[in-house]
Amino acid sequence: MSSISIAWIALPFFVGFVIYLLPKLDRYLALSTAFASVAFALWLFVVQSPINLQLIDHFGVTLILDPLAGYFILTNALVTAAVIIYCWHSGRTSFFYAQTIILHGSVNAAFSCSDFVSLYVALEVISIASFLLIAYPRTDRSIWVGLRYLFTSNIAMLFYLVGAVLVYQAHHSFSYVGLRGAPPEAIALIFLGLLVKGGIFVSGLWLPMTHSESEAPVSALLSGFVVKAGVFPLVRFALLLEEIDPIVRIFGVGTALLGVSYAVFEKDTKRLLAYSTVAQLGFIIGAPTVAGFYALTHGLVKAALFLTAGILPSRSFKELREKAIATPVWIALVVASLSISGFPLLAGFGAKVSTLENLMPWQVIPMNVAALGTAITYAKFVFLPRGGEAKVGTGFWAAIALLIGGLFIANIAYPEAYTIANIVKLLLTIALGWIAHLLIFQQAFVKLPRLLEGFEHLIGVMSLTLVVLFWMMMA
Amino acid sequence: MLEAFVLATVLCGFFGALLKKNLVMKIISMDIMSTGVVAFYVLIASRNGLFTPIISDAQNIAYADPVPQAVILTAIVIGFSIQALMLVGVMKLARDNPTLETSEIEKSNTL
Repeated sequence: MSSISIAWIALPFFVGFVIYLLPKLDRYLALSTAFASVAFALWLFVVQSPINLQLIDHFGVTLILDPLAGYFILTNALVTAAVIIYCWHSGRTSFFYAQTIILHGSVNAAFSCSDFVSLYVALEVISIASFLLIAYPRTDRSIWVGLRYLFTSNIAMLFYLVGAVLVYQAHHSFSYVGLRGAPPEAIALIFLGLLVKGGIFVSGLWLPMTHSESEAPVSALLSGFVVKAGVFPLVRFALLLEEIDPIVRIFGVGTALLGVSYAVFEKDTKRLLAYSTVAQLGFIIGAPTVAGFYALTHGLVKAALFLTAGILPSRSFKELREKAIATPVWIALVVASLSISGFPLLAGFGAKVSTLENLMPWQVIPMNVAALGTAITYAKFVFLPRGGEAKVGTGFWAAIALLIGGLFIANIAYPEAYTIANIVKLLLTIALGWIAHLLIFQQAFVKLPRLLEGFEHLIGVMSLTLVVLFWMMMA
Repeated sequence: MLEAFVLATVLCGFFGALLKKNLVMKIISMDIMSTGVVAFYVLIASRNGLFTPIISDAQNIAYADPVPQAVILTAIVIGFSIQALMLVGVMKLARDNPTLETSEIEKSNTL
């Protein structure tokens, strides 16, 4: 068992380098690696009992592979496969596929490790691979967007490193369990690194620009699973230490409300999707016990939405309302929008129900408001005019079929969600959201300031977050 | 005492990254910050002793802790490669933005 796990972790990196040697086979190699990860994740669900690997000594590398990690790995694998299929005929060079598969491998590593150093290495490799993918078009704009991402995340990871060594000083081990009894400043520094990396609350405001200015497939990768590499350790901590759990939940509520309030006023499709990612990450960490399933459904939906947004004739909702989009594309958009709003028969329903059931009492009202906000946000896609013409390649449809098909299949995983009360509640939320959209938000012209998204402010906000985190840990 | 100096280095680097206008200066500040972090690891490794942990005949010597040193070696390599990558990006950007002021680049590229 352990040798299979280690081989699986090493495989994407090995394939990444082989692609450089055999550039003709790039897409085939990348796609089979992604499907190997799908198989591995499914195998984790079958085995059920967690696999704990401890390499070298008590200060060595530790891995935990359990169904929670399985959900995240499955998300990663399916989104990677869909993006590779989407790009199949796009004429991208083998460099693109090599970086995609290295990114896939490093995110896998982040999902399976359980010590701070392995996590650090995985997160830094993620930064580098994402930067190379963002900057793939080689335009000034893409390089700048990539640079500010790399810079912000590297500064955050330096804080994280200081936190990691403070944990080591307390326990002579880098394992996650060492967080128990670690000094508050250590936890605050580690949290800062992960909050920035995971795009959570105000420290995650680098995310909207990075995700919206990248190319469609890269946005799908970033929103689908890359940010979850920062979120996943937070979920692990919350499940491991009950005193950290409320802090993670507070950030969940904060980021859900922040993301939703930006998203409902957004006039640009890709920025709307990026803000919605910020909000959905809040749902993931808002209820850490059921985070895995929510992450899976969100990853599939968001990747599908970003890929679809990439083929729409315009990015502005105003122009889209005047120009009809092709009906099949519209159907793909609507199915994805319904799933993320929590419509029954799609996996998003089960995920929403399980998250809303596992909230603390004080979280219930804000999280339901955030769910309503999600419905309002996605009503913008549902009420777009249809019936136009569009030339779309087969790669796009294959990718969408994989992602949306995944949503229908994942729906089976949680049949207990289908009680009358739950169905009525979520249908009511969606109906209210759509009415609010038609009556208020469609006409609303509010332009929220983008001040905090400025490069300098991203760095400055880190210092503020650090102070706030420190006080939260002390309290 | 040493700890205070090390943390001051980290903070100097951070405020440099925050307050400097020029992109190259920001990257250099980031390097200073990472130097501080490296020094912090070395300092913590030397809490119990200063000797290099290499197998030898000597007995009962207070060794430095090899684990943080090994870890920070990895971090140095990663930091170095990220910096190289960023400087390549800066070289590309410098062609159209010769002053490399971040506010100008941001204005012309994203808003």
